[in-house]
Amino acid sequence: MKTLRLVLFHASRLLLGSTFVYAGLIKADDPVAFAGQVANYQLLPYAWNYLVAAILPWLELICGALLILNRWVRPATLILGLLNLVFMVALVSLIVRGIDIDCGCFRPDAEVKTSPLAALWRDAGLMVLVVLVWVLDRRKNRQESAHG
Amino acid sequence: MSRYGFRGLAAGRRLLLEVAVIGAAAMAIGLTVNYGMVMNAFSGKTVATPVVSPSQPEEVRFPDPVEMDEVRELLVDGALLIDARHQDDYRKAHIAGAVSLPLGTITEQLASFQAQVAKDRTLVAYCNGFGCPDSFDLGIILLKNGFQDVLVFEGGFPEWRDAGLPIEGEGQ
Repeated sequence: MKTLRLVLFHASRLLLGSTFVYAGLIKADDPVAFAGQVANYQLLPYAWNYLVAAILPWLELICGALLILNRWVRPATLILGLLNLVFMVALVSLIVRGIDIDCGCFRPDAEVKTSPLAALWRDAGLMVLVVLVWVLDRRKNRQESAHG
Repeated sequence: MSRYGFRGLAAGRRLLLEVAVIGAAAMAIGLTVNYGMVMNAFSGKTVATPVVSPSQPEEVRFPDPVEMDEVRELLVDGALLIDARHQDDYRKAHIAGAVSLPLGTITEQLASFQAQVAKDRTLVAYCNGFGCPDSFDLGIILLKNGFQDVLVFEGGFPEWRDAGLPIEGEGQ
């Protein structure tokens, strides 16, 4: 049972980390296009879209890399969980306002559009990984401190 | 407070500190790498990098960006919207009232455009939204060729369409 939990923890950590490293790399490569995707949500003033596009990809990249490296797992997971929550709220706001745009979650110039609803389901899946990493990491730490 | 209470408090503080360090690192890297883009955006200058050929002189004039609400006001005041996208895209759907002037055919169409449009008329170029450089490049060419007031609507066709504003074309 303990081994299964450990495997599940590392698998979730690596999957979550690599997903956000991939997403961060693509967005950091073309921040202007990503700013366009952020602007399409029609939530922020003009210049703030660029500020978000400048910082967000690096936050995803750093947190994803920390998860892959198995360092600072809890703060990285907490940040990714909060980011994912913000993404989900933004996607729900798109659905409520009837705005059908590409979510801009990964490739800013994606030829195949990901609808807000499809992106919401994907983010829900990522949230499951966030919860798994968070809970299993705490259990692992407790066991380690109990044995130590 | 119990021993476990102190431990929990210390762990919480450490977690917050680590979150702050990661956030600060992301801000530092992101703002350093994208300093020019962010500064241009906050100072109201154009952000997209226009494709300017090396043979062009140093003193190239760049079109200023305008937001959707300003575009609507400018249209009321008589501005002309210019669709810089490919002719096929324009045929399918474009902002109502816009004329087609694709960047790819500007060399052939410039003379007739100059003949039909007053040099002092406000022109607002657009293409496929943020990250699409065609409207900027077209704006530079129009400014270089005597048009005095050329602006770029960066949100372009996608922002206009998604806002539910009037569009027209074969696909509508």
